[in-house]
Amino acid sequence: MAELRRDPITGRWVIIEIDKAKNPSDYEAEKRVKREGVCPFCPGNEKMTPPEIFAYREGDTKPNAPGWQTRVIPNKFPALRVEGNLDRIGVGMFDMMNGIGAHEVIIENPDHNRELCDLMDQEVEQVLWSYRNRCLDLKGDKRFKYILIFKNYGVSAGASLEHPHSQLIALPIIPKRVVEELRWAERYFEYRDRCVFCDMIHQEIDERERVIAENKSFIAFAPFVSRFPFEFTIFPKIHSAEFSYIQKEEVVDLARILKETLLRMKLALKDPSYNFIVHTSPIDAKERADYHWHIEIMPRMGRSAGFEWGTGFYLNPTPPEIAAWALREVSL
Amino acid sequence: MPEFRKDPIIGRWVIVATERARRPSDFVPHSVSDEGAAESPCPFCEGKEDDTPPPEIFAIRNPGTKPGSPGWQVRVVPSVSPVLKIEGKIERHGRGIYDVINGVGAHEIIIETPQHIYNMADLPEEQIANSITAWIERMTDLGRDPRFKYAMLFKNYGLAAGSGKIRHAHSQLIAMPVNPIRLKDELVGSRQYFEYKERCIYCDIIKQEMDTGKRIVADIDGFIAFAPFASRFPFEMWVLPKKHGADFSSLPKDKRPDLARILKVVLTKLKKALVDPPYNIILHTAPFRMPKAGYWKTIDEDFHWHLEIMPRLTRVAGFEWGSGFYINPTPPEDAAKYLSEMEP
Repeated sequence: MAELRRDPITGRWVIIEIDKAKNPSDYEAEKRVKREGVCPFCPGNEKMTPPEIFAYREGDTKPNAPGWQTRVIPNKFPALRVEGNLDRIGVGMFDMMNGIGAHEVIIENPDHNRELCDLMDQEVEQVLWSYRNRCLDLKGDKRFKYILIFKNYGVSAGASLEHPHSQLIALPIIPKRVVEELRWAERYFEYRDRCVFCDMIHQEIDERERVIAENKSFIAFAPFVSRFPFEFTIFPKIHSAEFSYIQKEEVVDLARILKETLLRMKLALKDPSYNFIVHTSPIDAKERADYHWHIEIMPRMGRSAGFEWGTGFYLNPTPPEIAAWALREVSL
Repeated sequence: MPEFRKDPIIGRWVIVATERARRPSDFVPHSVSDEGAAESPCPFCEGKEDDTPPPEIFAIRNPGTKPGSPGWQVRVVPSVSPVLKIEGKIERHGRGIYDVINGVGAHEIIIETPQHIYNMADLPEEQIANSITAWIERMTDLGRDPRFKYAMLFKNYGLAAGSGKIRHAHSQLIAMPVNPIRLKDELVGSRQYFEYKERCIYCDIIKQEMDTGKRIVADIDGFIAFAPFASRFPFEMWVLPKKHGADFSSLPKDKRPDLARILKVVLTKLKKALVDPPYNIILHTAPFRMPKAGYWKTIDEDFHWHLEIMPRLTRVAGFEWGSGFYINPTPPEDAAKYLSEMEP
């Protein structure tokens, strides 16, 4: 028997297979083929990328030279252009504007072969600080409404380069999914005077069934309404709408839980391709009581979605309870 | 300069690349014809009726042939691995802050030809028209079941489009007790537009597309196929009846061959232009209104059924899943130009 579950954040229904649930071993592992050729993100090849925007560097090393620990550069093939005006216009009944935005790449570490989960805690912290720094800087640009931070790891997750990196896109619009989240969260808040995400975190902590990891400031769990097998989210336990307000001790805890859960995923699911996305509130002055920032992590397990694309209706063969169990039980 | 374009129906913004736009030859070909054949004999072929789960739900048959035996043109059977079960009452309950419904629904497979042909583009028009009849028959029948709100009709062609290993033309129908969120967005969006303008937004889009002509792929016998202004994917297409109609299942009998014709034309163009790519087809139609009569009062006026055809040419990066925000490397004007020039 399957179950239909409704996501309290977006109102989306998902079919979750309960009886014939698929376990980690039911999925085929993806083959990783090492790529040949020169990596533009490796130390010594700094000239192959556009000039750096920001970097954590050792002592007296110069920009665009080796000696960095984390390096942020403009995307060489940006989806958007940073210079120019938006020039909103209508074309008959359609609306459009120029593709203005920032598209940056965060090279997480000089080492080509060490992924986020293989780094030292402090190295992961530096990646997170880089995210925060770039957010704070881009928030000053009045043209932008939203900053999207994400990572594609592995070919099936859409990564085109092997060297560990994440990306940041600053947008003059608010993405649809965020608008939906904000709208539903607002409705929930109006009705109950509580943040829907805070309520969800409480319920997950009470039930524990879907919890994967937890520390002082963060909790990682497989959402009750997971669209994809082994999908999970990391939430700050204390209410906060915006990622860039993260505090120093929280960065330490986030680095630890992110590294731990990514490592669990790598071991339990045989190094799958994955995407993660930071969901945060739009750039505005308001500190929202009804929104709660979080990181969504989605491994890409085999089967491609078909009708899910056009309908927003998903079918998940692995219940989040089993996913959480498998990720929790793997020995590190 | 890349462009942001807004889907006028649901308000989704898409980035459309205009420089270095990707042409058909820029996509790494992933031909469905190169995918490995299934090892076991095909259960959808004529003569293998015993290999599909009974009962045969519907069939267009030669006179004198019995259900579950050869002699059919189109055949509808229950899915061998249904995602929802047909028996049982709908039970809604809460689990803390979460809402749950037990998985009741119908999951049927429409086998579109007795012959072992995979791509709908390769079927004769009459055969496609037969499939359309089967779709309508089944949707009409399922619509009588008060437990269901919507029947989702779709086709996954090729492994990358989410298809299984059976390489025999078929579509799927899932009847369910809820409306899919994307459909709801469309219903709400088109109702808002109607409230404001007193016109159907799809009719307005069709009119504008016919005026500019830039994004039209085919315009045949009362149906139109175009690449939508805010296409999410390269070579995405919508097929609509030019005459307003909210409910696909009320498509008159004499119009079905026309829909079959345009489908065959656009699918053949797609196959030729992009070297037999995987694709999905999804029907967007009015929900069943029986359980809550009067709930969607204006739907007949403000909604317009259509088919979405989405070739799978790029790997969708996860951030597009998670953000609902798409980057399309091929402007729909270019896509429409390649496809419209392609001889069917």
